[in-house]
Amino acid sequence: MDFDLTKEQEMIRKEVRKFALKEIDPIAGELDEKEAFSEELTQKMGEIGLFGMFVSEEYDGQGMDYISYIIAVEEIARIDGSQAATIAAGNSLGIGPIYYFGTEEQKQKYLPGLCSGEGLWGFGLTEPTAGSDAGGSKTTAVQDGDEWVINGSKIFITNAASDMTMGVTVQAITGTRDNGKPEYSCFLVESGTPGFKAVPMHNKLMWRASNTAELYFDDVRVPKENILGNKGDGFHQMLKTLDGGRLSIGAMGLGGAQGAYDLALKYAREREQFGQPISKFQAVAFKLADSAMEIECARNVLYKACWLKDQKRPFEKEAAMGKLYASEVMSRVADHAVQIHGGYGLMKEYKVERFYRDQKLLEIGEGTSEVQRIVISRYIGC
Amino acid sequence: MKILTTVKKVVDVELNIHVESGAIVEDGLQYVINAWDENAVEAAVVLKENNGAETTLVSLGGGDMTDIIRKCYAMGIDNGIHVDDPALEKADSSVYAKVLQKVYETGEYDLIITGKQAQDTDSGQTGIMLAEYLSIPCVSNVIEIQVVDDGNIKVSRLGDAGTEIVEVALPAVVTVSDSINEPRLPAMRGIMMAKKKKIETTDLAGLGTSYDEVGGNALKSEVVEFMKSETRQAGQKFEGDAAELAVKVVDLLANEAKVL
Repeated sequence: MDFDLTKEQEMIRKEVRKFALKEIDPIAGELDEKEAFSEELTQKMGEIGLFGMFVSEEYDGQGMDYISYIIAVEEIARIDGSQAATIAAGNSLGIGPIYYFGTEEQKQKYLPGLCSGEGLWGFGLTEPTAGSDAGGSKTTAVQDGDEWVINGSKIFITNAASDMTMGVTVQAITGTRDNGKPEYSCFLVESGTPGFKAVPMHNKLMWRASNTAELYFDDVRVPKENILGNKGDGFHQMLKTLDGGRLSIGAMGLGGAQGAYDLALKYAREREQFGQPISKFQAVAFKLADSAMEIECARNVLYKACWLKDQKRPFEKEAAMGKLYASEVMSRVADHAVQIHGGYGLMKEYKVERFYRDQKLLEIGEGTSEVQRIVISRYIGC
Repeated sequence: MKILTTVKKVVDVELNIHVESGAIVEDGLQYVINAWDENAVEAAVVLKENNGAETTLVSLGGGDMTDIIRKCYAMGIDNGIHVDDPALEKADSSVYAKVLQKVYETGEYDLIITGKQAQDTDSGQTGIMLAEYLSIPCVSNVIEIQVVDDGNIKVSRLGDAGTEIVEVALPAVVTVSDSINEPRLPAMRGIMMAKKKKIETTDLAGLGTSYDEVGGNALKSEVVEFMKSETRQAGQKFEGDAAELAVKVVDLLANEAKVL
């Protein structure tokens, strides 16, 4: 058994951490407060290679293993959830489906621009009336000669309405299966296609500096070669995409928990009450000890899931466990961290309140904690 | 143009250093690139990008230097040489300069860029001694390097009273200040490509010399004891009536800090 990371993985952690401290940390609070998505910062993240991390070099990707990608997301999330969301969604949901399921032409056309960070790509799955029940979605695509005509809407789609957005992958019903259930296919829709509208969503509790959109498709016509992979593969593609996506959400939970814990430990060692640092009081020390233990456990389960994926072995159960556990660990750690900060923890001038808000999405997005428990329960034979 | 840069591995002083019996406890130490050498690497890579150059990095000393050399590869350095010889553990600046002289003589370089000093010893000797041993010009504390033509560079050096612009014939040694640039963070692809690049490893015998020949048995200086710096005390904060505080602060400055 070997728990050591490779020299490259260690270097990636170190350099991404430096980048996050230098470029993100000084402005994260202000971007959150103004609810501003920063194109400039996204491009900087692209320049150091945070997009297309697991994509091979032939498509201008960074050619890394999955664990390196997860470490990078973890390190960004340690400083800011919003930027980590841009990276996680950009890689797992934007780039991932095109890379894993796209035709050679689609990969050549879209991946270089997305891997350099010049452009972003959204993944349209959730609908206003279809969240956990992804099978209940209503968006349709009907073939008309050499084109597909898409109608419907999507909601809560990350990276889909920025000025940098080059397009979205959208899942739509394309027919009925033999068993009577809907048949799904995915389509690539470029920004600016007539009838396609992406509207930014505001007034979010968390991830306020990431770009979130509602998508509207009103008789949107795309050429037939814009279908992703084969007709009828949409549901399978969505499940596979979410399996990988869970690892990156898990990384956000892990990194966010580490960030909140770092802040709490520092504060507890500096803040004095009754003549000594509050870290010396058992009530505070035990919270920090529990946090350190849970972060360690979350890191182990998540890295193991990534290792399984890198070994091309089944990782779906472990990915669900990693996502579920890391997001719930961040919930507990952020809660402790605010409690340790006392009244200051409730103030925006202290970073810890942002971690407290940002964590909530992780128990909801890309499969709620309840859905993760369903996934795990099916794998263990319930 | 062929550029040689030098990189030294130094103890990461941001972590706690323990001292016992006048020596640093080696156990648990972590090492980083000397910060000024990182500026030298950045300067070499910038010259390569702007003017075209082949950049080679040399690192001296025993132990694993892979991380440090790969990081420099990821920043854009073309070739890496590690002079891995345990005999260099106790070397002083003069020995380092003699070994670098041997490396220089194997490669016919036009320009040598080093950090102006190392974080651990702060002696600032090696680059200057190297130029002396090679009988070539040296400009220290440089904040800008411009290529004039194949045989000349123009550099700015920071002096006490202002900036000197110096034109210097190549080959030459330039030691750089940390004001010259802000070293880049290596991009992810650079890190992955660095893994595939070879690091040339040699030792003193491989350079056609010996510890004795580079002066190792007649060190010009030797560290006989190491004493840890006093930890800086936290500042004091005063609140209350301004007039009363002024009296109190003046008293403390005069009688406690003894600076008045």
